[in-house]
Amino acid sequence: MISLYFPGHSRLHCLPAGIKLSGLAVISIGLYPIQNPLWLLPAVLLVILAYYSLGTGGLARMLITKPLLPLFVLIFAVQWWTQNLASALVLLQRMLVLILLANLITLTTRMDAMMDAVLPLLSPLRWLGIRTERIAFAVALLVRFVPVLMAVMLNLLEAWKARGGGRAVWQLAIPMMINAIRLSDHVAEALAARGGIRSHSVDASPSLTKKS
Amino acid sequence: MQSREDDRSEHSVLLDQVSLARDGVEVLHTVSLTLTEPRIGLIGDNGSGKSSLIRLLNGLLQPSQGDVYVNGIKPTDGPEVMASEVGFIFQNPDHQLIFPTVLEELSFGLRNQGATKKAAEQGALALLAEHDREHWAERAVHSLSEGQKQLVCILAVLIMKPRLMVLDEPFSALDLPTRLHLMDWLHSLPQQVLMISHDLDTLADFDRVVWLDQGRVRGDGVPRDILAAYREASQARVAL
Amino acid sequence: MKDKTLVQIALYAALIAALGLIPPIPFVTGIPITAQTLGVMLAGVMLGPGRGFLSMLLFIFVVALGAPLLSGGRGGLGVFVGPTAGFAIGFPFAAFVTGWVALKLERINLFSAALIGSLAGGILVLYIFGIAGFKLVTGNDWASATTVMAVFIPGDLVKAVITAVVAQAVYKGLPSAVAVKQA
Repeated sequence: MISLYFPGHSRLHCLPAGIKLSGLAVISIGLYPIQNPLWLLPAVLLVILAYYSLGTGGLARMLITKPLLPLFVLIFAVQWWTQNLASALVLLQRMLVLILLANLITLTTRMDAMMDAVLPLLSPLRWLGIRTERIAFAVALLVRFVPVLMAVMLNLLEAWKARGGGRAVWQLAIPMMINAIRLSDHVAEALAARGGIRSHSVDASPSLTKKS
Repeated sequence: MQSREDDRSEHSVLLDQVSLARDGVEVLHTVSLTLTEPRIGLIGDNGSGKSSLIRLLNGLLQPSQGDVYVNGIKPTDGPEVMASEVGFIFQNPDHQLIFPTVLEELSFGLRNQGATKKAAEQGALALLAEHDREHWAERAVHSLSEGQKQLVCILAVLIMKPRLMVLDEPFSALDLPTRLHLMDWLHSLPQQVLMISHDLDTLADFDRVVWLDQGRVRGDGVPRDILAAYREASQARVAL
Repeated sequence: MKDKTLVQIALYAALIAALGLIPPIPFVTGIPITAQTLGVMLAGVMLGPGRGFLSMLLFIFVVALGAPLLSGGRGGLGVFVGPTAGFAIGFPFAAFVTGWVALKLERINLFSAALIGSLAGGILVLYIFGIAGFKLVTGNDWASATTVMAVFIPGDLVKAVITAVVAQAVYKGLPSAVAVKQA
């Protein structure tokens, strides 16, 4: 299944999702008052250590920040120019620590565990007439149909290349759009044929990411 | 599945003077049929009204005139009520499979019938075991082959123990061995089967075939006669 | 909410993920245009403001749960603490405003309505969120935050036009698909 989850049994894997999430919140607030770049260095090292503790391939997961590199360089330069080097270093380290920590939670928490941690927080929505089971159902549908629509997309891209391709590849959004809308009509009909969504028919999707 | 008494007398679909209009166009004209045979095929050109007719049986569509009865029940209350009576299989499994994993997919029907989560999962596992597919429980639906997906679709519907299975060209995207295998398996089920197919050979050993043409019944009888007549009519039109 | 609406919302969110597979088109500023924010603007036009909002909310919710659905396979909680967090969080609001404006303009032709809607929702609103997020994460003042984020704007202007072209083409192919033209 589609997920960034990194299977393993590290200490972080075993921590409940709720604790990890509140930990992230506390740390992110705690980092802000620090203004000396040297004091943030231990935090950076600790995060690297945490990735190392995930086991083989753990450190490589830090590369997730790579696409952000150009933006980091830009932010660093602007900060240095408008403020000074020290504050640019503080900013860079703080961003890195936060992003890597947040990503660490994603790596060590299965999507269903995350869902179980989050759904109770959404229960006040019942007051607005929104039932959390329907949210869970929508999430399951999304997870189910991402591979379906991605396969359609890849087919269209292949056909596009086979016919010569070109730069205006965004045009594929048109058939994709039509496909998705037709698909949703079919799925809605099939769902109705099976009795529709009842209040008791689903709950927090039990196996969002059981198999990868 | 075997738990239900296979009493053919209560297997019956009745259409009494049924007309149906969709988007202002009449697609079925005063069709009357009594379907009691265990295996019934439905044939006809695209646009002949086959898909509309079967959608009347579980309330996905409502007749503009006339009455429909399935096992004595009128599907006027819509598919929610009929889901336990009529199992509906669509052409493309990707339209029908709505959950990421096989177990969730199979549990859904039982939960809709009011089973607890645990009971539903046990029921799903039992059904998988009954069909020698226990190891599929945790499989991601999108990782299955087309034939396997269609099998899951059928299991997901069978689990609700419907008395009638309605299939809308279920095997048209499958290769021949998979098709034969699934047909074989389908024939082993106790349910009454009503199936649309363009693959006439598939229907050769059915009990009865109904031929729809422009919203009317043009032929109705044993497969040998009806299939031959349909073939002949199609070829005659090509010759023109 | 009807089941059918829920299916629409979920499948549209899945569509946004699939649009992330379209290879980014290199643009003059060096910042590539991804088709994904195109999908956000289209969500408002295709589904209308309310459903567009919910569909994008579902999308970023599942991204936060850990699904790599953002273009380039990005996802997870890291997205929501990074310098571009505001954009992801702004998706639902951008879709809502795009749809709302396009709906208000239903008397003029779809191309112009979708274009103006996209400029308002997909650019103005999305950048307010984007810049606010950037300011919050980096501690920059409004002016320099805006300067940094401004490099993305030319690409997004192109997307607003493409949104209008796509909306019109889809409307021709399947008129019932465009919610802001159904009222």
